Amino acid sequence: MSYLNNPAIVMDNGTGLTKLGFAGNDSPSWVFPTAIATAQRSTTKQGGSGSGAGQSQGSGNPYFGNSTSATSFNSLASAALLSNNLAGKRGTEDLDFYIGNEALAASQGPSYSLSYPIRHGQVENWDHMERFWENSIFKYLRTEPEDHFFLLTEPPLNPPENREQVAEIFFESFNCAGLYIAVQAVLALAASWTSSKVVDRSLTGTVIDSGDGVTHVIPVAEGYVIGSAIKNIPIAGRDITLFIQSLLRERGEEDTTLRTAERIKQEYCYVCSDIVKEFNKFDRDPQKFAQFIVENSEKTKRKVIDVGYERFLAPEIFFNPEIASSDFLTPLPTVVDQTIQACPIDVRKGLYNNIVLSGGSTMFKDFGRRLQRDLKGIVNNRIALSEHLSGTKSTGVDVQVISHRRQRNAVWFGGSLLAQTAEFKSYCHTKQDYEEIGPEIVRNFSLFNMV
Amino acid sequence: MPAYHSTFPVDPQADRMVGNVVLLPLRTNFRGPAYQANSDYDIIDECLDLFRANSFFKNFEIKSPADRALIYGILFVNECLSQLRPNTSYNEALKLLTNVALNDFSIPGTPGFPLNNVYSVPVQSHSEMDLLKTYIQQFRQELASRLLERLYRDSQEKPSKFWLAFTRRRFMNKSL
Ligand SMILES: Nc1ncnc2c1ncn2[C@@H]1O[C@H](COP(=O)(O)OP(=O)(O)OP(=O)(O)O)[C@@H](O)[C@H]1O
Ligand SMILES: [Mg+2]
Repeated sequence: MSYLNNPAIVMDNGTGLTKLGFAGNDSPSWVFPTAIATAQRSTTKQGGSGSGAGQSQGSGNPYFGNSTSATSFNSLASAALLSNNLAGKRGTEDLDFYIGNEALAASQGPSYSLSYPIRHGQVENWDHMERFWENSIFKYLRTEPEDHFFLLTEPPLNPPENREQVAEIFFESFNCAGLYIAVQAVLALAASWTSSKVVDRSLTGTVIDSGDGVTHVIPVAEGYVIGSAIKNIPIAGRDITLFIQSLLRERGEEDTTLRTAERIKQEYCYVCSDIVKEFNKFDRDPQKFAQFIVENSEKTKRKVIDVGYERFLAPEIFFNPEIASSDFLTPLPTVVDQTIQACPIDVRKGLYNNIVLSGGSTMFKDFGRRLQRDLKGIVNNRIALSEHLSGTKSTGVDVQVISHRRQRNAVWFGGSLLAQTAEFKSYCHTKQDYEEIGPEIVRNFSLFNMV
Repeated sequence: MPAYHSTFPVDPQADRMVGNVVLLPLRTNFRGPAYQANSDYDIIDECLDLFRANSFFKNFEIKSPADRALIYGILFVNECLSQLRPNTSYNEALKLLTNVALNDFSIPGTPGFPLNNVYSVPVQSHSEMDLLKTYIQQFRQELASRLLERLYRDSQEKPSKFWLAFTRRRFMNKSL
């Protein structure tokens, strides 16, 4: 029974990026777009013919490098696609699709079409998702599912039917040894335990998970998501990239592609304390302007893109949505406050003093600091008002926003922490459980107490 | 954090007003009725400081008469920018903006002024309307001149493209 000794596999399939790796590690072994390219109609497969099945997948293949973007691939060189000959028992099949960066590359040609099987955090196309998982297991992880337990993640309020679908695929198609499905926000809370600011390892807190498509604000009390209070904000990574693109266009920069906008976002943007002061800093210190160089793949042409106020204006749309949108106007700190205020009064203190950041779009420098300052302002105003009305002194509310080193892939990392514990396997449902009881067994998972 | 407001305190009893418009002191050599500002930061500086930030906002709640001066200034800066091209030299810009500042402009209370719902002035009083008109002209000249300094700080050949990029933004969705 090799699965008892093998590390569990942790998979976090996000709307934009999939994080894939083994429990116990500090970071996922692979991060690539949750994208699949499937052959269009009856065209014969292209590209994959060149390289053999035995090719190593290490750093030699450019498509296996980690991604920070769901839509563009950093070195779209003319390298041949890896063969889809899978390792091990399934090695004889030759499948007509690619996933991840290979999918982005394949879809540049005429015979493949690209799609993203997850929308707003939930699986939309189960057939594509199954193939995506299949390739993840056999081509990236190169493992036999019957030898491993799996930890998968799901967004808040995922319908139970979706879990059953996952179980069917993992137990029936892949024959995996055992399965646990965890709510992303709960994993993000566990991930924050690496921060030195976190003293008690509680599963109570407010998670701000901001990825590519949406930003969720999720209150969690003792490991249970308070579903009725969850709020979504229609501003996330993609909107910030689009806003940068619009500023580059207004200025008439030479390259205004989304790819360039996204790279400027990741390399140059930060959160400031006050936009008027920040404009003045740029006036006083021209060093604050930057330049971004775009080269074509043959490195024969160079474009120089000036980078200006978007450095601080782009992430400002979390705090001042009016800057970029006319229909959603509530700043993130206000939404966080409303979320916590919608929770039972006895958990609010715990929710204010453990606000945990998660996801790629919380990575801007000083994001946590600004959120903490603005939220403190809101809370203190309310306290002052109620003290004034009631004439009594409040004991105050401690607002604390936690940033930490594992924030970008916090959900995956939290999964890695959970799945490496000795108890993990006893919380999973096994293949045997599944066969005895059926798919509905995955409607519930016990929470574990990891302390 | 919504749009930024003027920080100049106004006392409608003591300060010079025409209707609900305040004639704040200016630091200027252009001729006109404004009192000389005795601090080195005046409403013109504030308009230039807040122009870029406020250009992103459609909503603005007027909190004091000084906010009306601020709105006017920001919309005027936008009008100036719309006269310039990426390759307009300082000398050309000086001519263009001098003309814009002096040319026919509509004053609050008269048809054609875009914000008559928030500016109220005694249109029947010739002397007051005349004072307002000459004050606004002086205000426009000083603002255009200080805007030019900012636009051409780095080069006499062309205006800052970072400022010029604001031409298409519309504070409060309005233009003069
Ligand atoms: N250093 C960075 N600074 C700013 N944004 C970043 C950075 N790194 C990644 N991003 C952005 O983060 C987003 C991806 O984040 P993440 O992987 O958390 O999303 P996801 O899990 O795919 O989506 P979701 O959780 O919404 O389903 C992209 O928009 C990417 O551009
Ligand atoms: Mg995610």
